[in-house]
Order: sequence, then structure tokens, then C-alpha cells
Amino acid sequence: MIFSKKKNPIDLIFSFITGVASISVILITAGILYVLFTESSLSIEKFGFFKFLTLVDWDPVKESFGAAAALYGTLITTGLALIIAIPIAVGVAIFITEVSPNFLKGPVGIAIELLAAIPSIIYGMWGLFTLAPIMAKYIEPFLQKTIGELPLVGILFEGTPLGIDLLTASMILGIMIIPFTASISRDAFNLTPAVVKESAYAVGATKWEVVKDIVLPYSKLGVFGGIAISLGRALGETMAVAFVLGNNNQITTSLLDAAATVTVKLANEFTEADKDIYLSSLYYLALLLFIMSFIVLAIAKFLILKAERRYQR
Amino acid sequence: MTGQIEIEAKNLNFYYAGDIHALKQVSLSAYKNNVTSLIGPSGCGKTTLLRCFNRMHDLYPKNRYEGEIIFQGTNILSNDIDIINLRSRIGMVFQKPTPFPMTIFDNIAYGLRLKGIKNRSELSGKVEKAIKDAALWDEVKDKLNVSAYELSGGQQQRLVIARALAVEPEVLLFDEPTSALDPISTAKIEELIVQLKSKVTIIIVTHNMQQAARISDWTGFMMLGELIEFDKTDKIFTAPSEKLTEDYITGRFG
Repeated sequence: MIFSKKKNPIDLIFSFITGVASISVILITAGILYVLFTESSLSIEKFGFFKFLTLVDWDPVKESFGAAAALYGTLITTGLALIIAIPIAVGVAIFITEVSPNFLKGPVGIAIELLAAIPSIIYGMWGLFTLAPIMAKYIEPFLQKTIGELPLVGILFEGTPLGIDLLTASMILGIMIIPFTASISRDAFNLTPAVVKESAYAVGATKWEVVKDIVLPYSKLGVFGGIAISLGRALGETMAVAFVLGNNNQITTSLLDAAATVTVKLANEFTEADKDIYLSSLYYLALLLFIMSFIVLAIAKFLILKAERRYQR
Repeated sequence: MTGQIEIEAKNLNFYYAGDIHALKQVSLSAYKNNVTSLIGPSGCGKTTLLRCFNRMHDLYPKNRYEGEIIFQGTNILSNDIDIINLRSRIGMVFQKPTPFPMTIFDNIAYGLRLKGIKNRSELSGKVEKAIKDAALWDEVKDKLNVSAYELSGGQQQRLVIARALAVEPEVLLFDEPTSALDPISTAKIEELIVQLKSKVTIIIVTHNMQQAARISDWTGFMMLGELIEFDKTDKIFTAPSEKLTEDYITGRFG
């Protein structure tokens, strides 16, 4: 019957399977959040929210635990990594989409994708054995002698350059997130309608003016998306950072000091957490990381929505 | 109605990347302050020809021109031509409206700023004049600072025309400017094109033969990359000399 209201059984099965798949994702997320909450309840009760957030101590002997140092390390490495990665990634994306001669587009594109395919543990090893010595021997002393001599910013480069520090970790992180930002930005740039670019050329714009005035504003959303994904990856990155950050629980003004991040702490200390409150505090840290990532994503979505309302009518 | 030739293709051949021969020995003159329309079936090369006049093809690799296009005595296909400058003197309007992601004012001022005009009062004077010339002033005068995306399709197309006019080009190329618009907006754009010819020389590609008949002084009929016939519009539509032209305009193919 053509006009029967009865649904096609295959359609029903199809909706059921896809529905179950979608709901399971929500359930898994909720489940993880639930476990994090229950496991950290002991620590939440003992330290509360603001005290845990602001306490620098991480002392298993005195059973005094605070997240401040780890959060600080996470924020500094992530922030610095973005500062290092974004200009390079956007530059690469502009080169590939707008500037590069055809025969170079493929190779550069593939090199970027390969950079994304390298497992993070390899970045960590490379960081420890290659980058850290170079940083300690050449780059960090150079920075100390130049920027380090300036007032105000000088405190960022105090101390003995050992190469195992916030700066090296941020560099590694930055290199790791370049491919994500670059390839998503490239896709976003490619979505700029050719005819809009041509319209700008038609009133006498140069290549650079077209990129600056048309391509970049047009693809803002996509670039934000790329940055958000990179930020998410940088926040959660563990192995590469663990190699070159030193896991030293302190808040330091110098980028040439060892520090800790939330992820590095979790990776290093779960096995040695011998007391309930120690383990619970680690779960509490994990919960905070979860919430942080969640907020970052929410902010990114909000920015994207705002930009969308402004331009995509 | 004849008079001075503004821009002229001489034995023009054009090859897309991969040696696809898209224009074959095309010779055509566009007269100053006249509207010249190019008609023909899809794929006949009329848009390809139009895009030769401001060297839009140069944006894509391996496209190749042969022959000459003479614009005010200079062959603009020669290698030492400043293409950026050329494009500010030969403007172009596309099929779909292409507002830039900025305000109405900034859209119109875009080409002027590229030319280095920074003075606020000079800018706003020229912007206002361009919008008035594009018959859009009454509709946008109170919202120059809102996004150009707020405008309707027909308004956006007139905005794009205003943007092209702002840099005071000598020639304006229209690539099927009304094919994405409703009949009322189309009528407005057609009226505008007829008004504009006192200021600029116009070459328009159109799929709509009635449109060519209504607004143009000269018409070229193209097929398979060749210019079959070029003459005054009246002549083309009433007494074409080529059999192919007659078949096309009477609707026997295409």
C-alpha cells in the first residue's frame, strides 16, 4: 500500500540501531563522569572545591593535596603551545591553499598529515633526547642573554637552563598540534567560495589582500574549530609532556623550570598512590581536567555560533 | 550608435589547463558606452571570453592566451601588464551576489581602500555616489554599518555593482548577473545596466535571450568556442545572417 502509514520495518531497525549508537555515547560520557565523581568524593569532602583549586601542596606524607601547581602547568604549557602553533599552522594552511604552486601542494600537505600520525610517545622521546639538549645548550642560554635581560619579562627566563622545563614541553606540544590546526584551517580556507575571492581580485586586490580580507574572515569558524580541537588535544596530552616536563609540583615564574601538568601527574602517580585520599585526589584532578576540557569546548562552540550568526545568513 | 572602440579581442584563442581549446579565433569589439551582450548555449565559451577581458584566468595555473585584447591602445595580454591595476579599471559582477564578510560601507569602500584612499570624507563621498549610481541608496542609507549579508539577494547584487562602480572602472563585465534573482530584482538590475552605460562600457554574458534583446546594443552569438556572429542587437534578433544564429534565437536548439 502506497499510502499506508505503517513504517517500513527496515526503517524501524535502522532508526533503532543508529539511536542505540547515539545514546551509548551519551551513556559512556555520563558513566565516566559518574566514576570520576564517586572516586573523588573522599578528596572533595576533605579539601572542598576552592581549597583544592588553590592549594599548591601535593604531599602524600602529610596527606595534603592541592591542584594549583598541576593546573598552572597545564594552562602555561597549553597556552604557550597555542601561541607557538597557531601562527605556523595558519601560515602553512595559507601557503597550501593560496600561495603554493600546484606541484608543492601535495608534498607539503602530506608532510603535515604525517606529522599528525606520529605517536605522541615518539614526540616525547625526540623531545627528551634531541630537543631538550638543544634547548639547554643553545636556545635557552640565548633567550636568557637577550629577552632574559629585559625588565618584567626577564623573570620568565631565570634559573639554570636544563632543557627539562615548561618551555621545552610547550614547544613539543606546539609542534604536535600544528597539524591539526593546519589541516582544519586548510579545509576551512578551501571552503571560501572561489567566486567571492574572484570578486575581490576583480576590484584590484592582491593575493595577500584577498587572504587577509576575504579568506581569513570567511573561514574564521573553521580556524576556531581547528584551534579548539588543538586546545583539547594539548590539554589532554600526556606522554610527550611527561618526558620533558620533569613532574615537579611547583608554581614557578620561570619557563626554564621543571613543572607538572594534570595529565603528567596522573600518568606518573596512579601506581604509587597507596592511600585512599591520595588516589581520590588523583581522581579529583582527573575530574577537573574533564571539566576544563568541557568548558574549553563549550567556549569554542559559543564563539563559532557567534561568528556564524554574524556572517552565515 | 557606433563610435569609439573601448576594448577589442583580436584573433583570440584561449586554452584551459590541459590544452583544452576553449576560444577559437575570436574577434570582437565592444564600443564605448554601449552594452554588448554575449549569448549562446551552455559551454559555448561566452563566460570564458568575458573572463579574458580582466585576465581572471590568470588566477589558475596553466591557462594560456593567444592573440590580442586591445584596451585603450594597449595589448592587455602582454606579460608586462599590471594585472591588479587592470582589474581595477575593468570591473566584474558575477552570477551570484558576492558580498564580502564585512559591513555594507566596507564592502563598497573595499576597492577604494585598496587604491590607498584613507581620507574618511573622501571615502564616504565616493561610497555614497557609488551606492546612488547602483540605485541602492534609499534602501541602505540608514544601515551602512550592518553586515552586507543582511540584504536580500537583489540588493546584494546591486551592492556588488556599487562596489565595482566605486573604483570608477572604464569597463564593467557582467557574468549572468540576474540568473540567481527573482523577476522583480532582475528588472531592477536590467534597468540599472541601461542607466550605467552612460558611465561605463558594459559587456554582459546572459542565458536569457530576451534580456540580451532588451538591454544590449550589440550582441555576439557564440557556439563551441567560436564567435558565430556579431552585430547590432536589432539585426541579430530580427535578421541574423548566419543560419546557426537564427536556429538558436528561434529556439530550435540550445
